[in-house]
Amino acid sequence: MSIKSKFFFIDCSEAAACCNKAQYEEANNFEKARLMLHLLFCKTCRKFSTKNSKLTGLLKKSKIETCPEDTKHQWREQIKKEFAEERT
Amino acid sequence: MSAHTLDPNKWVDRYSDYLFNYTIVRVNNREVANDLISETFLAALKSAKYFKGEASERTWLISILKRKIIDHYRRINSRKGKAEVKISYTDDYNEGEWLEEQVADQFDKTAEDEMENNELGLAILECLDSINEKHAEIFKRKTIDGADTEAICNEFNITPSNLWVIIHRARTALAACLEKNWF
Repeated sequence: MSIKSKFFFIDCSEAAACCNKAQYEEANNFEKARLMLHLLFCKTCRKFSTKNSKLTGLLKKSKIETCPEDTKHQWREQIKKEFAEERT
Repeated sequence: MSAHTLDPNKWVDRYSDYLFNYTIVRVNNREVANDLISETFLAALKSAKYFKGEASERTWLISILKRKIIDHYRRINSRKGKAEVKISYTDDYNEGEWLEEQVADQFDKTAEDEMENNELGLAILECLDSINEKHAEIFKRKTIDGADTEAICNEFNITPSNLWVIIHRARTALAACLEKNWF
């Protein structure tokens, strides 16, 4: 493949990376265009891309929250302290 | 299957997000949820010697948490004397057509969906258990907290391409796990 065509045609691993970035809205227009081009002729990646978007949808729908780090820190300290006391 | 063991120092890292998401839909108040989880950890430490290793750590912690949530509702009910159920319909403030007033709220329609969504959230967190702890942490920071790529890279001391590889693996593993356990 010439350098020029490599510029536009990416392999599957690169396409996957672009696809993941796109899920977080971090792919730039050029990356998106290359991804689209790749998806045109790659069935496997099309399948991956659909699945990936679906996963993003599920993650959004589930509305999971993480605990704030300072709360976790408090708990950690608390457990450590109690655990030490239990042992003695 | 080998017997499960307890590792209290890992509890917060491994289960706090799960316990939090489990609790928040049941008590609907962050502070109460945090208190209940804190109580759960302490109670778990106290009764660690009774842990037989038949259930997984998580199941065991959840069973304690369930008791704590029930206790919480008992407490607030007795405090406000809400335990007695008042059936009489008419009072000074409520007058009017019974039917119209008792029609369910619009948002009630989605109550079931909400429940399913919470279960989905718990399933996702459970699936994240099966991947490398550090990778799961990074995935959560990126996907759930929506942190900047740069911030995460600094925090974990990795390069952006490392990050995307980790995210890719986590997503693939998660998709496979959800396909098996959710659909």
